[in-house]
Amino acid sequence: MKKMNEQKLDALLSQYVDGVLSEQEAQQVESLLAVDTSAKQKVVELKNLKRLLALQPKLNPDIGFWTRFSVAMEEQKEEEHNLLPFPRKFIPAITVMATAIVVIIGTLVIQNRIQLKQFLSTKSQAVREVYEKNILQGSLLPLFSKVDKEHALQFSLFGTLPLDDKSETAFRVDEQSEKGYRIEVGNNLKNKTKSVTFDRFIAEVKPSAHQKKIIDSLLELTGRRIESSVLIGENNTLAIAPDLPKLNRLMVTNIASCLEPLQRVSFERLLEANNAPYKVTVKSVQTGKAGNYVQNIPKFPQGDRFVIITPDTMMYSQIHIDFDSLKRQMEENFAVVGVRRAAMLKKIIAREFQRVPKNMHFPMTNQIFGGEEFFSVEINAPGEEDNQQQMRVVVQPRFRKQIFTPGMPNHSTQMRIWKDTASSDITP
Amino acid sequence: MKSIEIDERGGSVAIPIPRADWQSENERFRIGVRARSFVPSFPRTNDADSMTNHQALPKPNAEVLRKMDDEALITTFQSGDLDVYRYLVERYQERIRNLLFSIFRDRDFIDDLAQEVFIKAYQALPHFRFEASFYTWLYRIAVNKSRDELRKKKTRRFFSFQTLDEGIEKELNVRLSVQPENRDTQELVAMGLKTLPEKFRTAVVLKDIEGLSYEEIAEVMQCELGTVKSRISRARAMLRKALKPLMEEV
Repeated sequence: MKKMNEQKLDALLSQYVDGVLSEQEAQQVESLLAVDTSAKQKVVELKNLKRLLALQPKLNPDIGFWTRFSVAMEEQKEEEHNLLPFPRKFIPAITVMATAIVVIIGTLVIQNRIQLKQFLSTKSQAVREVYEKNILQGSLLPLFSKVDKEHALQFSLFGTLPLDDKSETAFRVDEQSEKGYRIEVGNNLKNKTKSVTFDRFIAEVKPSAHQKKIIDSLLELTGRRIESSVLIGENNTLAIAPDLPKLNRLMVTNIASCLEPLQRVSFERLLEANNAPYKVTVKSVQTGKAGNYVQNIPKFPQGDRFVIITPDTMMYSQIHIDFDSLKRQMEENFAVVGVRRAAMLKKIIAREFQRVPKNMHFPMTNQIFGGEEFFSVEINAPGEEDNQQQMRVVVQPRFRKQIFTPGMPNHSTQMRIWKDTASSDITP
Repeated sequence: MKSIEIDERGGSVAIPIPRADWQSENERFRIGVRARSFVPSFPRTNDADSMTNHQALPKPNAEVLRKMDDEALITTFQSGDLDVYRYLVERYQERIRNLLFSIFRDRDFIDDLAQEVFIKAYQALPHFRFEASFYTWLYRIAVNKSRDELRKKKTRRFFSFQTLDEGIEKELNVRLSVQPENRDTQELVAMGLKTLPEKFRTAVVLKDIEGLSYEEIAEVMQCELGTVKSRISRARAMLRKALKPLMEEV
């Protein structure tokens, strides 16, 4: 408390000396000073201190201050505009150091150029090998990189796709509702694959502009789906999405769904004339909204499940593939990938499949046939009919006179009359 | 409220200057906006386009500019005529140098610090809003700068394991113990000031050496008036204690 009072007294006396107290406060202080000698002594000391401080020496005027200040301002400005990561004054020293480093490195490089050349050659070779093995040679590629509208239509109607420009090789899926489905890749299939151009389809069926728009969208989706469903790999490996054959039937159903009854008759005539694997069995159902009939086509294979076919065996496996990046890679390296894919395809077709696969993990019974010109995988898993039964426009497999693979070892197994087509709609 | 007139002949912006001693009531002086300055493009002015206008009216001579008050010079500066900063520097350079000298007592050091203060003021002047007088604003920059510098010194002392304050106090006591006729009073007072903590030292310097009022010190030090009074009182008490032999003799 005493200290507090002393501090307050000091403050009061300090302000008294400065002359900033009110008249009343000043009178109080003066009355205190009259009786308190220590306070009076403090005031004397404070006045002395003020006088001593006021007498502190001043600096002589600096007439050159502005000149030096201008120079400092210029330097500051230059420093602000200096983009170098160090002050400009270090430029000569850093230049000398950089030159010395370049000379030293250059001398070392020249002295050891042979070893360096060998080292770089070895490294680049290693990098090239790794790249070729892992990036180009070791990865799976889509067998079909660009499925256009024509090809998508052909696959939709007939389940076939040419593998080369001359249609000498082809890929075909064939759903068999009783036994399952078959996937075939082979040479000399030109005569066996039917083809209906999009223009002919339009001319025969005569869809309206709205219907044509729907069919265009369906074909585009089909193209994308095919691209992501058949993959080809090194070491004669083929990976096929097992639900791909169903796409054939689904597309015929979808196209038929969005047509009017009369157009549907024309469509069926077109299918019949070209011996398409499916037929439209109910033609009189009125077309409603397209959304009620058209089934969605999944963009990618369901569940990433693929049938993997190698020279030795066949397995059913899950493959996680980023199709978008794969497609980008394809587009960026189109020429390289195209050549590589052709070579891989040639190897796959040329091999012989004469054995029953030993891999027992495959969930479905299956059989691989083949010869020098083709191979065929028959997967015995009856297709699900639920979706088709819900469809008001019923599409069923058609009895066909010709079989797809005449070179099959057991011809009797290829000639089938399916039970679900044994109705009055069957065309003999 | 200042109005801005557009000179249609040259397209230059003319800003009426507040009435100064050198102006008559009806006299209007037009200050042309010029592109060139002694440090081009260093400050950012509000109207960049106007800086390119070369058809300005004649500039007043140095003598007239030297007589202009702070507000008029700052207005001219903010209008784009950066050269007038020279007159502000010349007007306050000695006060700032002496303030810094009173705080640091280091002749070699204070010139560099004073330059930094004026550079800082130059950069901030385009944003000066006339809410305080220019010289208290400038003092505030100087005090902040000196505070930063004292902190740096303190850090340097910490890392160099020096105990400068203790050294000064010891030296002060030694010098005070010699015969009065051999003492340098001014030097002793300066040493006494150096023993004070920064905020007390600055307050007493501003009051007793620079002669600022309590209100001005509060503005410069950005604190309450009561705080200023307290700091000055305590600073004086500490000084009286440090310089006790001197106080008794005087």
